[in-house]
Amino acid sequence: MNREQVMAKLTEIFRDVFDDDSIVLHDSTSAKDIEDWDSLEHINLIGAVERHFRMRFTMKEVSGMKNVGEMADILCERAGK
Amino acid sequence: MVFSSLIFLYGFLPLCLISYSAASSVRSRNFVLLIFSLLFYAWGEPKRIVFLLLSVVVNYLCGLAAGGKKQPLRKPAVAVSLIFNIGMIGVFKYSGFLMENINAIFGTHFPVPHIVQLIGISFYTFQVMSYVIDCYWEKTVPQRSFLKFLLYVSLFPQLIAGPIVRYSTIAEEIDHRTTTLSDLSKGLNRFVIGLAKKVVLADQLFRIVDAFFGSTPEKLTVLGTWYAVIVYSLYIYFDFSGYSDMAIGLGLIFGFHINENFEHPFLCKDITEFWQRWHISLGSFFRDYLLPLPVFGIRNKYLSLALVWLCTGIWHGAHWNYIIWGLYYGAFILLETKIGRKRMRKIPLVLRHLYNKLVIIIGFGIFYFEDTAQLGTFLRNLTFFNPNGFFSYAEQMSLYNNLFLIIAAVICTFPLLKLPEMLKKKYGRSEALVSAAGTVCTTGLLVLSSILLVDATTKAFLYFRF
Repeated sequence: MNREQVMAKLTEIFRDVFDDDSIVLHDSTSAKDIEDWDSLEHINLIGAVERHFRMRFTMKEVSGMKNVGEMADILCERAGK
Repeated sequence: MVFSSLIFLYGFLPLCLISYSAASSVRSRNFVLLIFSLLFYAWGEPKRIVFLLLSVVVNYLCGLAAGGKKQPLRKPAVAVSLIFNIGMIGVFKYSGFLMENINAIFGTHFPVPHIVQLIGISFYTFQVMSYVIDCYWEKTVPQRSFLKFLLYVSLFPQLIAGPIVRYSTIAEEIDHRTTTLSDLSKGLNRFVIGLAKKVVLADQLFRIVDAFFGSTPEKLTVLGTWYAVIVYSLYIYFDFSGYSDMAIGLGLIFGFHINENFEHPFLCKDITEFWQRWHISLGSFFRDYLLPLPVFGIRNKYLSLALVWLCTGIWHGAHWNYIIWGLYYGAFILLETKIGRKRMRKIPLVLRHLYNKLVIIIGFGIFYFEDTAQLGTFLRNLTFFNPNGFFSYAEQMSLYNNLFLIIAAVICTFPLLKLPEMLKKKYGRSEALVSAAGTVCTTGLLVLSSILLVDATTKAFLYFRF
């Protein structure tokens, strides 16, 4: 799966979790850009991404992700392994 | 030692400041601060310093290993640190409570340990845990100097009752710092404001609380119970935020920029926002280190929410009321999550304020009564099931006598410190005039606080026991 496909899948997941079809993701998209993306919703989002990509983020990754780009990087890196 | 005591204000602090100013290099200034910090902690009960030092040694070594290059040691180092720290809190804070409950549930007769709690253990233990985890997560570089690490943990402004300072916040300043004149002035002002919050407001409010809740809370009327719990809510805010102000102010005086711990919590529009404004350093600790933890192997916001609020309650003390208090807040935050922010915003602001103030005030009542039978009576007495009537003469007299104090306290929950800036911008008042007015106010508050301290027995801060 290449990065574009990862971003497309992430967009689907974000729209589903935040119940907002208008969400368009960029690498720089962060919690500041999506109103409902708070620390609690972040957990649900991470859970949804993990289920979809059949992988598990580490605590460090969950706590340290700054934006969608970093999330996509981690997913691409794991897919490459 | 207590910040709001004459020995601290006119003995310890001036001596510390003089010695600190006399030291020329950062190294010697760190040494002065370290000696005074250890003296501060050991004051009155020197034995407790042994456990502080033990904690520092263990977490210093764990930090080095967790953030070191030897991969096989990294994870075990975090595990050792967590087991040690949680074990320390468990033994000193919860062992009696745990044994009492085991005996009650299983009908056993194990001896209940009565271990004297170490002051500040919940605060400094959380600090060192955050440090070791941050080293492991490579968010910070381990401190190689033992003395510098000891200074970070024992730094007297924040040692006993927080804020829970992350190592990364002051890591740079341990090595390089200067106290500017502006920082010194801001620090002194902030310290005196915190002192006044404690001595002029919190201690006086506590007299009312103690008069009603302290003796026979079961005999209070409906309005009397509401009156006492509202005053208690104000008391706890001024007591704890006053301490945080003093800690932040002292930090500034010595060149450390400690994060804010309170942002006028009573101005919140909902409970979620209340906790973004109240005891911020504890909330952010749980947000960063506990919330991402998969509960039973599952990442689910409801399970994480329950875990965080259970731990928030337990952190506050070894009694069931704190656990109830934590879960009570968790339930309201869950409710707000279910309603959603957009729908919450559609509710008229007056109703939102009414709702959150009711929840907060009743919450502080739950927080006060460690005896669950008394807690039940308190909750009944808030309602019309109260058999003691609506309002008694003694309660009315207390309200009339303390009306000015209570109104002043309510006004002080607003961001009054932003007024000088507003005045400068709106009316073009000069910096010198505003600064002079500020100095007069600060001096007045210091004199008033000192007079009240001469006339009173020193009351420890409520959060010392956590």
